[in-house]
Amino acid sequence: MQKDMLVFAAKKLMKVVFTVWVVTTLIFFLIRLMPSNPIERYIQNLVVQYGMTYEEASSRASSLFALDLEASLFVQYIDYLSSAVRLDFGTSFLSPGVQVTQIIAARLPWTLFTVGMGLVLSFIIGIVLGALAAYRRESWYEPLISGTSSFLSAVPDFLIAIFLILLFGVFTWGGRGSIIPIFQLRGTYGPGVTPGWNAPFIRSVIGHGFVPILTYFFSQIGIWVLLMKGSTSGCLNSDYAQIARARGLRPAKILKSYIGRNAMLPIATEFAMRLGFIIGGSLIIEQLFVYQGLGLELLNATSNRDYPLMQAIFLVMTIAIVLSNLFAELLYGVLDPRIRHGGGKQDG
Amino acid sequence: MSPDDWILDIQNLFIDYRTKRGNLHAVHDASLRIRPGESVAVIGESGCGKTTLAASIVKMLPLNADIRSGSITYKPRKGKSVSIHSSSEQTMRTLRWSEIVMMFQASQSSFNPVTKIYTQFLDTARAHRMKLTSQQVLKRSRELLELVYLNGDAVLNSYPHELSGGMKQRTLIALSLLLDPQLIILDEPTTALDLITQKRILLLLNSLRKSHNFSMIFITHDLGIVTQLADRVVTMYAGAVVEDSPSSEFFADPKHPYSVGLLRAIPKLNAAFEHLYSIPGSTPDLVRRIDGCLFSPRCEHSHDRCLREVPQLRSVGGHRLAACHLYEEVTV
Ligand SMILES: Nc1ncnc2c1ncn2[C@@H]1O[C@H](COP(=O)(O)OP(=O)(O)OP(=O)(O)O)[C@@H](O)[C@H]1O
Ligand SMILES: [Mg+2]
Repeated sequence: MQKDMLVFAAKKLMKVVFTVWVVTTLIFFLIRLMPSNPIERYIQNLVVQYGMTYEEASSRASSLFALDLEASLFVQYIDYLSSAVRLDFGTSFLSPGVQVTQIIAARLPWTLFTVGMGLVLSFIIGIVLGALAAYRRESWYEPLISGTSSFLSAVPDFLIAIFLILLFGVFTWGGRGSIIPIFQLRGTYGPGVTPGWNAPFIRSVIGHGFVPILTYFFSQIGIWVLLMKGSTSGCLNSDYAQIARARGLRPAKILKSYIGRNAMLPIATEFAMRLGFIIGGSLIIEQLFVYQGLGLELLNATSNRDYPLMQAIFLVMTIAIVLSNLFAELLYGVLDPRIRHGGGKQDG
Repeated sequence: MSPDDWILDIQNLFIDYRTKRGNLHAVHDASLRIRPGESVAVIGESGCGKTTLAASIVKMLPLNADIRSGSITYKPRKGKSVSIHSSSEQTMRTLRWSEIVMMFQASQSSFNPVTKIYTQFLDTARAHRMKLTSQQVLKRSRELLELVYLNGDAVLNSYPHELSGGMKQRTLIALSLLLDPQLIILDEPTTALDLITQKRILLLLNSLRKSHNFSMIFITHDLGIVTQLADRVVTMYAGAVVEDSPSSEFFADPKHPYSVGLLRAIPKLNAAFEHLYSIPGSTPDLVRRIDGCLFSPRCEHSHDRCLREVPQLRSVGGHRLAACHLYEEVTV
């Protein structure tokens, strides 16, 4: 038993390491195969702008990126891998001298905050509404819940963002100004506040985060409602729910321990998987709100060919997705005894 | 126990399903009485309303079903009779499983797949406020499981998927005895199992019926099982009870022409396949019902009166009832 678990965990871990390695390698080579090599461009830039010789520029670039440009691609690759293992991704190209890890550490919390809040809120409210829609199939509000959810799940998130910007920041209501001053719809917090645990800062963060969070909320809630409704309907019609009723259990008990618990199985796994997409799932929205999270940073890095930064952000995203997949798998095992025990049927 | 003593009495019951084509009369003038401790088999072709009738006894009909008229009365061991047809869901909840156990058709996944079996025994006891501690409930559960030849501890600590189909079925039987019900209804309880297991489980139930003193209604298509298990056979046709006879008399001398047909349709071991008999014609439309006896289009004895007048279920001698114009009413 113990040994089985160890082998199981070891296998999973190997898979994680392997996937991350494959992606890292792919990123490394893809960036170097790109038609305009960013390092080459940087060197050309130095030559043209500062009149350096190619050698000067090249050595400057290699010291800046901690790369030996003379070395073969293979040696560069090994170098890159070994520093990546030490979480050393070099310095940014856009802001020379600044560690890439520092940039990521500064940007990541904002993305985690907004996308994470949107995900958690849409999940909680979505499953409640979904279960309600399934349980009260005959009610007048069921078509309302289901219809709105289908609609929301079909609308692209940037349209929701634009709509919310118009609604909260642009339209004026009855002579007064807009609900939220338009400047609050840009950035992560206002100019006058000092970051830290002080009330004006927190208020400013919430004020600026509100509409982005609402966007993430509306762009995901439809899917949670529909998933939960489908999965609850399936469980409502199940034999064990019917027998539970025949056994005289209270409706609340059946709903909670028999239907809810089973309906949550696929949903909880989906939730765990989506945790991994928090980091990457915000490119367009952060651009619309000029919200300085990781998505916006990746966009900047890409358009400026800041490839150490790009590389590192891609890697962080990959690791997040791979880990969340692992988490989802383990979670399913915990929630569903049929998976935990290998799913086999024992006759006796 | 007098023959007039009863625990369940169904009188002239009518149940409709609302469908796109109109009202489907699934149960149409069905009457049935269950006496203490007896075992009653309900037989009839697919779609004749057996499940609908059984589900109405615990009021667990599909949402689109309506009880149009008639009465279902239940007499608990202690206390006043209950009019099931007009009882609230709350009353029914307390009756279910503690008084009347209903085991639905094909209940292969009767247990919550994510909790262990003992939780489901405890849940059942708690829902009915059993005056026992958890330890006592588990002790009793273990005893009941051993009664159905299972290892009590092992089963209680298993997840449903760890049990075989036959084990699950026996576990459900053990669970059904937890609250000492007076009536157990089984809707084709064993169709998912192999023949030998089927038979063993039904024989087991029958011996438990005697030791635990409950009545049993079982719905089946297997007339071989009926001969072994039933005290009484109730034949249904197109939503109505058309014959109600003691088992031995039913097999020796079926009264209703439909019962005769059903018995002739049992494959004989020595009969060649092409000689397999089946009742001519097909089951009637339950939405647009014809006048007169619904079996008349398929009946070789059908005459004028059958086309005009619906025969009522009445005594045809002894303890036998039949709904057919071939027989004159026998007044006792
Ligand atoms: N939910 C429903 N909605 C509409 N019609 C239904 C519904 N359930 C059953 N019926 C119809 O009611 C009639 C009786 O069905 P019922 O399930 O009681 O038959 P049965 O005798 O149990 O058949 P079987 O032997 O196949 O289980 C059938 O004609 C069936 O088509
Ligand atoms: Mg049926």
